[in-house]
Amino acid sequence: MKRLVPLLLAALLVAPAIPLAQIKIGVINSMTGPQAPIGENLTNGIKLAEEDLAAKGIKVQLIWEDDTGKPQVGLSAMDKLATRDNVAGVVGAYTSAVTNAVAKKAEQYKVPLVNPVASKEEITRQGYKYVFRVSATTGDYAAILLDLATTLGKPKSIAILSENTDFGVSGAKSARAYAEKKGIKVVFEEAYSPGSPDYRSTLVKVKGASPDLMFMVSYVADAITLMRQSRELQLTPMAFLGAGAGFSTAEFASEKNISHGVFSSTQWTPDVSWPGSKAFGERYQKRFGKVPTYHAANAYTAMLILGEAAAKAGGDREKIAAALHAGSWDGLFGPVKFEDFDGYTNQNRHQMLVEQVQNGQYFTVWPPALQSAKPIWPFPGWK
Amino acid sequence: MTIFLQSLLSGVLIGGVYALIGVGLTIIFGVMRIINFAHGELVMLGMYAAYFLFTLGHVDPFVSIVFVFPLLFLFGAVLQKTVINRVLNALPQNQILLTIGIGLILSNTMMLLFTSDYRIISTAYSSGSFRVGEISVSAPLLVSFVITAAVTAVLYWFLLKTDTGQAIRATAQDRDAAQLMGVNVRRMSVLATGLGAGLAAVAGALISPTYYIFPQVGQPFTLKAFVIVVLGGMGSVMGATVGGVIIGATESLAGAYISSGLKDLVVYVLFLLILLFKPAGLFGKSRV
Repeated sequence: MKRLVPLLLAALLVAPAIPLAQIKIGVINSMTGPQAPIGENLTNGIKLAEEDLAAKGIKVQLIWEDDTGKPQVGLSAMDKLATRDNVAGVVGAYTSAVTNAVAKKAEQYKVPLVNPVASKEEITRQGYKYVFRVSATTGDYAAILLDLATTLGKPKSIAILSENTDFGVSGAKSARAYAEKKGIKVVFEEAYSPGSPDYRSTLVKVKGASPDLMFMVSYVADAITLMRQSRELQLTPMAFLGAGAGFSTAEFASEKNISHGVFSSTQWTPDVSWPGSKAFGERYQKRFGKVPTYHAANAYTAMLILGEAAAKAGGDREKIAAALHAGSWDGLFGPVKFEDFDGYTNQNRHQMLVEQVQNGQYFTVWPPALQSAKPIWPFPGWK
Repeated sequence: MTIFLQSLLSGVLIGGVYALIGVGLTIIFGVMRIINFAHGELVMLGMYAAYFLFTLGHVDPFVSIVFVFPLLFLFGAVLQKTVINRVLNALPQNQILLTIGIGLILSNTMMLLFTSDYRIISTAYSSGSFRVGEISVSAPLLVSFVITAAVTAVLYWFLLKTDTGQAIRATAQDRDAAQLMGVNVRRMSVLATGLGAGLAAVAGALISPTYYIFPQVGQPFTLKAFVIVVLGGMGSVMGATVGGVIIGATESLAGAYISSGLKDLVVYVLFLLILLFKPAGLFGKSRV
């Protein structure tokens, strides 16, 4: 320790020599913990954005904080970024639970927070001036799926199964509201605690209610467990609808036995016709050896926008927030603009997509204007 | 009625696997009076072993237990000899810190080596089932239950009939007395830890075809095993077996009749009630 002190002092003396043009941006993400597999997509997306910013001559210094998927860890990360690191802005977090907590802190510290994927509706419904959301909301997740279902068929009933997290509960609530608006009867609704190896008892009840639609909100691997056990019990509704997250990962699609014909709402796909999507997908795959999920594109976009705004405003937090509020962007994520509407503040009106797994591959099937394959309807049955 | 039978059945079947995890924990506790908070991580190691045997060696996860058990037995034994043995007479909080630390090291090492990606074993039977009347029976779950029952039977035979097994039980009953009778208690501790680790790993391998594998997957199993062991009576193998099945069935029935979000709550309420009326656990002997 003693030997470190002079070193630290020396570092302090040298510090001003680093060009001031470099802008510090904080990242809060679930890099370890149960949400890490999706967190990795965000990390990689942000890394690609950092490169693209550098190519434009904007040098950002990223300060990475791991929230491990826990709100309290996210909160202390925000404290550190806002006070000790004195960042110009923050991109993060991943899950709705963490982001909801962090957003409140960001508002207190007046640090611009650009939220890439957390979709719980309330996050941008609290009148925050420093919280910006690139992501669509859980309401959009449910709406696009039910729009598709009511256009392609005539479903009369729906079962809603969600995990009991912020994202899951918010997703279920939005789904119920939208289903009722569309005249679809909710015959089953339940929130389960994630990570269990056995959901059979719940799925038996769903089967008993024999719904036309099965709507599920689940993170990563529960999606696979739920579908496997649905197959065991031969649960066959008109369609399985998944609200992104666990239903839009490469692992899920590769389980052909259980994924064929399943719809999932998503915010981005590599084959959507927004400018640069395809190139981004290829570049990501080449660099990281995996197919990116929408989370990567969301995080990339959030970082790019914040980086540009921060560079223009010279790192001044208030000016950055003003620039984010006034600006508009267009790129691989489609048009982005932070607007105030319907009780939301600084919320991007994002065009949601629906993808469907067809023989182990995702295809964008909705809306018709952006589709890359025709949807398979109704659910073709278990293989 | 269908719902009841279906839930009871899948609960009992999954409970068999829980029981195996609990038995491992209770043997370790019985012999050394150490609660192994790294137990779930041993389950996780068993899952990874099964996963790699499956993907690299094309060994069926159910067959892989023949390799997984000795592998993790050895690991547990080495762990006991090199690390755990040093805290046998230390303060309880030191023992707890040590095993928690081992658990953290194991899960984080796995994360460094294999990243936090979810790994999934896809076998032809991963979501297979057959029907008995109105009830669908999960094929992989049934097979794993049968194997669990066989493993438990062998374990009982070992503990009841063999000299070594009896020596382990003697050590569990009274370490000092066993030592005075000429039982090599150090060796028994090594054996017990190996056995506990091996059983946990077998349980991990058995659920791997229907579950998913990632470095942090173990933690909930530690808690579950702990509840099972306390419920059955600390150190009682019989208690852990019954406790596992009770917890499995309770979870499943609670999921069916109350809410799957509240099934843990029901389990813990039941747990508290049993402790209230039978403080030493179902099969435990009060130590007064």
